[in-house]
Amino acid sequence: MADTSAADVQPPYLYPDYRSTRLRAPAQPLVRVAPSPLESVGPTFPQQFVRDGEADLTTWGASAPLGEKMVLVGRVLDEDGRPVRGALVEVWQANASGKYPHPVDDHDAPLDPNFLGKGQVLTDDEGRYRIVTVKPGAYPWGNHAFGWRPAHIHFSLFGNAYAQRLITQMFFPGDPLLPIDPIFQSVPEAGRPLLVADLDLEQGIEGVALGYRWDMVLRGPRATPMGV
Amino acid sequence: MARPTPSQTVGPFFARDLLWKDGGTVLFPGRSDRITLTGRVFDGDGAPIHDALFETWQADPTGAFPSSHDGARPHGYGRVTTDPDGRYAIETVVPGSFKGARGETYAPQISVAIFARGLLKALHTRVFLAPLELVTDDPLARAIGDPDRLRTLIAARDPKDSKIYRWDVRLRGAGETVFLAF
Repeated sequence: MADTSAADVQPPYLYPDYRSTRLRAPAQPLVRVAPSPLESVGPTFPQQFVRDGEADLTTWGASAPLGEKMVLVGRVLDEDGRPVRGALVEVWQANASGKYPHPVDDHDAPLDPNFLGKGQVLTDDEGRYRIVTVKPGAYPWGNHAFGWRPAHIHFSLFGNAYAQRLITQMFFPGDPLLPIDPIFQSVPEAGRPLLVADLDLEQGIEGVALGYRWDMVLRGPRATPMGV
Repeated sequence: MARPTPSQTVGPFFARDLLWKDGGTVLFPGRSDRITLTGRVFDGDGAPIHDALFETWQADPTGAFPSSHDGARPHGYGRVTTDPDGRYAIETVVPGSFKGARGETYAPQISVAIFARGLLKALHTRVFLAPLELVTDDPLARAIGDPDRLRTLIAARDPKDSKIYRWDVRLRGAGETVFLAF
């Protein structure tokens, strides 16, 4: 295996403390190849793919959702620090009670009729995105005794190349559940701070919403592994 | 160099959120014969994986890469979830072969990314829509070498219905599918 900066911060497939990896992680070594020319380009999303208002998760219902309103801003960049323009950023999350409107979520917490917890936005020419939402709640899960997932927002990104495709999770600063979360802990120590947003009060709305900032970095579209 | 953002699992609660309407119908400009790529996804115990997100990206029948959209969705991209039997189905066209930067020929193939609970990173692979003997010069086929391993990436044309290509994915264990790092 080549040692690259990417390898230093990515989780392994098999991380036994996260039990679901035990039957789903490949046992054979991965075959290392350069992205094909096809994988070095990617799908083109029309501007109208995202409709007005889809970046504001608090206006979906007839009235405001419960919870702590927040604004999240950030940029999508490549490894050279260049903005990734027109990246599709999809988000989904639990409501303020830590409940998803999903049939397999059996957590005994209330749904919020004013919160679906789903949004999307395309980055602008500077690679910037902005979403408005409420802070998701923590919730218990059956991975291990007394296990609780820290509050997190799920992110799915399409950059400018298929090989940049990324699905990840954003966490909140100072969360006491981070040290006991095997999904977060699966990331090597050097990578963990990259998943935690910063408080950025001035990005909030005075008297209304807390501000946070979180940048994401996608690998270069033509990145090839070192030492190959 | 900025370090890339680490990957995390898509988790179990995505299905409603990442599904696209008709995401299993891959769009291309113009008219071409349509085929269906379908199969099941299994875990290391041979149990079907019912909560995977299954995405595809491919060239058109001439081997050209999609670079536009139909006004609503991108061309060339498929996105579905597996059903309770672990089954996926992508209705699309047979991609053409294409050339690499050094003149190498990529056999007709679809790039596949699988996300699921228990997968901390996407599983990437490529499925060939051509028989084994026609893909042996493909760069990935050469990198794999072992024909038994390569065979895990060959979609089999249904003998009773030539419009159906069947391809199962085994994440771990016996018959494990070849996955890629790039």
